[in-house]
Amino acid sequence: MAVRVNPELIDDLQHFGAKDAVKCYQCGNCSAACSHSDDPYVFPRKSMRYLQMGLEKPLRSALDPWLCYYCGKCSEQCPRGAEPGETMMGVRRWLTSEYDFTGISRLLYRSWSSELMAILVVAALTGVGFLSYGYLGGGGKLSVYDGPGAFLPPHAIHVFDWTMGIILALLLSINCIRMWHFTMRNEHATPVRPALYVRYLLLLPVHFFTQKRFRHCENKTPWTNHLILMLSYLTMLTLIMVFLKQMQEGPQVNWYAHTFGYLSAMGLVGTTIFAIHGRIKKDAAYHRHSHESDWMFLGLLLFVSVTGIVQHILHRAGLPMAANITYVVHLMGVVPMLALEVPFSKWSHLAYRPLAIYFAQLQQAAQAEGALPFGGPAEAHPAA
Amino acid sequence: MAEERIGVYVCNCGTNIGKIVDVEAVAHSAVEIPGVAIARSYKYMCSNPGQEMIASDILEHKLTRVVVASCSPRMHEATFRGAIKRAGLNPYLLEMANIREQCSWIHDDAAAATEKAKALVHAAVQRIKFNEPLESRTAPMCASTLVLGGGVTGLTAALELADAGQQVFLVEKQDHLGGNVARLDQTAPYLDSAQDILSNWIERVWRHPNIRIFLNAELTALTGFNGNFKPMLRTEDGEKLELDAGSVLVCTGYKEFDASRIEQYGYGRLPDVITSFELEAMLHSGRLQTKSGKQPRYISIVHCVGSRSDKYHPYCSRVCCTAGLKYAFEVKSALPAVHVSNLYSDMESFGKGCEDFYRKASEARTSFVMFDKHNLPVIRAAAPSDGCNLLITLKEQLSGEEIEMPADLVVLMVSMEPRADAATVARLVNISCDKDGWFIESHPKLDPVATTTDGVYIAGACQFPRDIPESVVQGRAAVARILAKVAQGKIAVDAIYSEVQDKLCSGCRTCNSMCPYGAIEYNSEKHLSHIISAVCKACGCCAAACPAGAIKVRHYTDEQIYGQIEGVL
Repeated sequence: MAVRVNPELIDDLQHFGAKDAVKCYQCGNCSAACSHSDDPYVFPRKSMRYLQMGLEKPLRSALDPWLCYYCGKCSEQCPRGAEPGETMMGVRRWLTSEYDFTGISRLLYRSWSSELMAILVVAALTGVGFLSYGYLGGGGKLSVYDGPGAFLPPHAIHVFDWTMGIILALLLSINCIRMWHFTMRNEHATPVRPALYVRYLLLLPVHFFTQKRFRHCENKTPWTNHLILMLSYLTMLTLIMVFLKQMQEGPQVNWYAHTFGYLSAMGLVGTTIFAIHGRIKKDAAYHRHSHESDWMFLGLLLFVSVTGIVQHILHRAGLPMAANITYVVHLMGVVPMLALEVPFSKWSHLAYRPLAIYFAQLQQAAQAEGALPFGGPAEAHPAA
Repeated sequence: MAEERIGVYVCNCGTNIGKIVDVEAVAHSAVEIPGVAIARSYKYMCSNPGQEMIASDILEHKLTRVVVASCSPRMHEATFRGAIKRAGLNPYLLEMANIREQCSWIHDDAAAATEKAKALVHAAVQRIKFNEPLESRTAPMCASTLVLGGGVTGLTAALELADAGQQVFLVEKQDHLGGNVARLDQTAPYLDSAQDILSNWIERVWRHPNIRIFLNAELTALTGFNGNFKPMLRTEDGEKLELDAGSVLVCTGYKEFDASRIEQYGYGRLPDVITSFELEAMLHSGRLQTKSGKQPRYISIVHCVGSRSDKYHPYCSRVCCTAGLKYAFEVKSALPAVHVSNLYSDMESFGKGCEDFYRKASEARTSFVMFDKHNLPVIRAAAPSDGCNLLITLKEQLSGEEIEMPADLVVLMVSMEPRADAATVARLVNISCDKDGWFIESHPKLDPVATTTDGVYIAGACQFPRDIPESVVQGRAAVARILAKVAQGKIAVDAIYSEVQDKLCSGCRTCNSMCPYGAIEYNSEKHLSHIISAVCKACGCCAAACPAGAIKVRHYTDEQIYGQIEGVL
């Protein structure tokens, strides 16, 4: 069955940052340079080809873009300046929007003004919401930061955190299921027995926490930064979701909780500044191109980290009112960042990348088995 | 004959001959042959001291003939002829025995090779006894040139010749000048207007006092020979006109492949499948639209239509890749929103500026879709629900996917092929065509614009698919050859040619059709055949065919050949 070409796809992908794919003449130097590219996941060449050809369906069902960590080696090798690394990044953005059933992701990626507007609206709602709660449902006094009568008491924030967390996790899960459907349930994919899903389940946490494949890229710096940023983020998320009470106690320092807080704050601010500096200087192939969403993401991250630190300092400095105001401002960054980035944008790759590694392993295991039990012989060898 | 004094010179050729053939023994055996006055060997006979030795021997020992036993005559015959001529002997009183290519290089057995060398020297000595002194002659050279074809090649050649002060007869079959280039809009890779290139030349050709233009005219016969041709034209008015021309330059160009021969492309059946020339016309008129008058959204350009195919033409037409890339720019400048795709099997955009042109075309957002040349795409009409006019299905080589592409207009890059009348023209001017029908040059590298018929030249796309710069270069190369001859004012005729001995000729005309060079005329009044010595190449076909033995090949007489045979035995 012939795949219908969508000639407009390459124009569409431009909005997602894949601007130079037209220049590719399929020499394959990129795939030769990549330490992860291996049969049957020959990337970036094959993904570039699907994109150039407008083969929307094969591109949507490809796992390849997620197996790339964007070390930039391919872009350095490209003789035509087709920026295969950035193209893969653009394809990942596009895939994120394809997995997202709400269409919000697509809107945010394609239009920076929409993204900015969304951030501002969510921030404004958050600000109004927390101020109203503080005055009406909370302690009522902006001058009380912690203890009884706190303006924003930890237990209330907890309820909010968990409610939001569950909603976002639900949205992301639906998108993950769509990803599974596109990549594992298409006519070219090999059916996988349920037992295999169980056997390889451990891959998910391993690759989530270590990103150890990234280590195999020739350029190690991005892996280190990426790992520090991700672990700092996870640590901070854990502190907030579980130990918010301890975090908000004071003014004396609670070393059991705050040690982790300081470390992860340093990690967040350090790696964010490093990334912003790199993108401004364009100091490496992976920093040469910045999509609007990259700037929004880094901007929000820096904003959230800095306001979090300032809030902490103000609290310790005995300025509860200033600390409370900063707290609200901090939340005006946190909520848009999580609400928009986790299911619809950048943060979602924390889920998609380990899933892709898992799915790719399942495909290879199923193919090695001969792929008979699950769908039966007829489905086992789908017509090409 | 007894008074002939023959000198025999045996060459060592460094060690090329000497390491196998006992050169001294060959010289010693030669001295024994009656008529041989002296026999010597030397390290390099072709060197200056070697030539000096022969020359001084001629004077000192009063030699009348010289045999050199060395390499092939193709290598050094002219050298030794020059040497004996300087010493006062007629150059045709030289014979060469090839003891290098025919002995030392091909034999391991030294003794046998030496015996063979002796036999070859013996044969040369027996032959040379019958050699006659011959004189080269000259024939007049007519300065005017007949140029066949008024395309870009013919125009440039005519202008160059005319600017050099020579008369040109420019014959064009159509009613206008410009040829196939006149059908183009812009030219790759610099996107100059084809009309701009041509109009200047055409205007100058029309104004030039040395150029006589014949439109709607054709060559009907060509008699005469190098430097003295008599072309017969049929002019616009249907009249016959005989001209005098010293040289003939054929630049009759090409025609395009009939795209309807590839049925699966649907040309002629699907109205929106057009040829590259039809697109050129659309672009030139500024009306780039489908047959139904709509603006196209998707334009696909199919390459190698008739080229590089076992079924149609095995060769590459060479210009179509770059021409196809050109459309990306032309189409996009007319309709920026159009999606242009190039369907190719290999992209061969060679030549100055063209690789860059290829890169720019892809930067101009053209897609490149690769098909297998043994499994051509199929073009069919789309259904109304498809949202396009045509659908192209193919196995895309670089993605490995079976794909279906939407198209509103499909452009077929038709190959170049010899004109339908190429074989007729070839017969008229006595040149040959290759298996594909292109005119054959004298030598592909060393003599690319000459033909096997002296005085007849070929240039441009009648010889093989050529682009405009190459055609211009070839046209001017041919002009250089013609002007060199015109500057000499006469043509040298080799002393070696065949002659009919009138007394023996019965006028049977057997030889007339045998001659591969058209050198034999028949005198119907005297009932005799006559060989034009300037055209004759002394191949000997006529002499072998003549039932009366009336034809003598100068320098290859029966006596010489028999002498050589007896000598070798």
